[in-house]
Amino acid sequence: MSTRPVPTRNALTGALAQVGGCGLFLLTLLAAIPRSFRYVRETLRQLWFVGAMSLTIIMVCGLFVGMVLMLQLYHVLSIFGGTSASGMVVALSVYRELGPVVTALLFAGRAGTSITAEIGLMRATDQIDAMEMMAVDPIAYVGTPRFLAGLIAMPLLCCVFCAMSVLGGHLVGVTWLGIDNGTFWSNMTAVVDLRTDIVNGVLLKSLAFGAVVTLIAVYQGFTTPPTSEGVAYATTRTVVASSIAILALDFVLTAFLM
Amino acid sequence: MSQPRNSYAVGTGLFIVLGFAALVYLATQTTSVANTHQGASYIVDTHFANIGQLKERAPVKIAGVRVGQVQSITLAPGAEVADVKLAIDKNYDKIPLDSVATIFTSGLLGDQYVGIVYGTSKKTVAEGGTLALTKPAEQLEDMLGKFFGAGGMADNLGGTYTVTATFSNVGTLSAGAAVKMAGVPIGSVQSVVADPVKLDAKVTLAIDNRYNQIPDDSSAAVFTSGLIGSQFVAIQPGGSPDALKNGDEMVLTQSAMQLEDLIGKFLVNGSSSTDKKDAGNGKPGDKSSDTPSPTTPAGKQ
Repeated sequence: MSTRPVPTRNALTGALAQVGGCGLFLLTLLAAIPRSFRYVRETLRQLWFVGAMSLTIIMVCGLFVGMVLMLQLYHVLSIFGGTSASGMVVALSVYRELGPVVTALLFAGRAGTSITAEIGLMRATDQIDAMEMMAVDPIAYVGTPRFLAGLIAMPLLCCVFCAMSVLGGHLVGVTWLGIDNGTFWSNMTAVVDLRTDIVNGVLLKSLAFGAVVTLIAVYQGFTTPPTSEGVAYATTRTVVASSIAILALDFVLTAFLM
Repeated sequence: MSQPRNSYAVGTGLFIVLGFAALVYLATQTTSVANTHQGASYIVDTHFANIGQLKERAPVKIAGVRVGQVQSITLAPGAEVADVKLAIDKNYDKIPLDSVATIFTSGLLGDQYVGIVYGTSKKTVAEGGTLALTKPAEQLEDMLGKFFGAGGMADNLGGTYTVTATFSNVGTLSAGAAVKMAGVPIGSVQSVVADPVKLDAKVTLAIDNRYNQIPDDSSAAVFTSGLIGSQFVAIQPGGSPDALKNGDEMVLTQSAMQLEDLIGKFLVNGSSSTDKKDAGNGKPGDKSSDTPSPTTPAGKQ
């Protein structure tokens, strides 16, 4: 079972062991999906926790990202007399890049850390071992529900983020800076494409990010050294590793999907 | 974590509903799907000699008001004109048969759309009917060329059916650029290399085998998509009964026009490079050069 803490060796082999352990752990999680069906309520509870509880931060951040993006674009585009295109640029940049990436980073900070801390504390207080003693599969009961919840929650959160960004852009652009309302929407609808921007950009990317972030969070939780210091260390590592993974994966996905 | 069961079930339900509502909102209100209000519409056929950058789902407008969209753009093998199908709202079924379909550009750099200018005929065009009168998209180079009298410039060249063409100037044309006929892509540029002896650019065009009935006196020209777009090779069909075949020679090419050259000519009377081109045609450019410009764009080149 790959839920044992990875002993730290030197930096390189340590990092490689992390990556390899993570990959093996993904297989363990996926293999446990059929067994976790009997814990559907647990999955639902996790969905509530990582998804519904993250709505506030996602909505507020989405609104502000849209607003600040519009403000910046307006000033740059006014040099060229192209302010009417700013709504379109806000939508495109949010759908293709900012939406999935910022949502994933926020998700890693909001949900990933708490998943790691919770599982890590379970490990530190021997609850995981207790489950095994009671013949409850900790992967199927603790790991997979959280992974599935993250997988479902991320695309939905990303959609909410993008919608709020567009509204934020509309708020600043139309009501404050005086871009024409019809121009704002028609320029946007003329350029944004359902398949390349919404499906490939918003949904596919956020699905991949959701999988990566929750995988790292759950893995770090299960491999936490069973000390209070270890929990703190694992939580930090979740944020660092997910951030790097999100941005690197974003580049790869963009290169493939564009 | 200690919430009673129902509160998180309701909260999760709300979250899922909100997420999907946001997705539906993004997909329907902010994408081009918002434009495809496919109500009852009927199809009208048009044929354009050149569609420029017209794209599928581009708007069809009457008096500037959107009445439908471009359904499909095809180029039949062997044909010289692009077949454009317009899906027009059933509410606007009184379009006179002699109306003119024209490809316009929104602004200088905007997207292109099909505008229908009403004729006077009592007969109206029916479902599946054809609007016979069309006006193709104006290419900026064509217009500038006519204006400066440089439209008829031609160089000699040789080629094969991956046709090679020789241009005295290809501008920023690069391998992979499109080869278009009547505005529809029919192939791509395979390579652009400088000829070490003739000191001009040798361009290899790979043309789709379906288009094997291009007259062998057709000309190839390097055009720009819009004012600042990428460059492509446009093939303008000639009138010869014989078709271009693998190993055949195209005899007419028109090199890329440099915007700086043209503007320079427009502003400054008689830069040395104009002599050649002015010899071939009228000199409308001379009229405008009566007022010398304070700037000297020739220095930019």
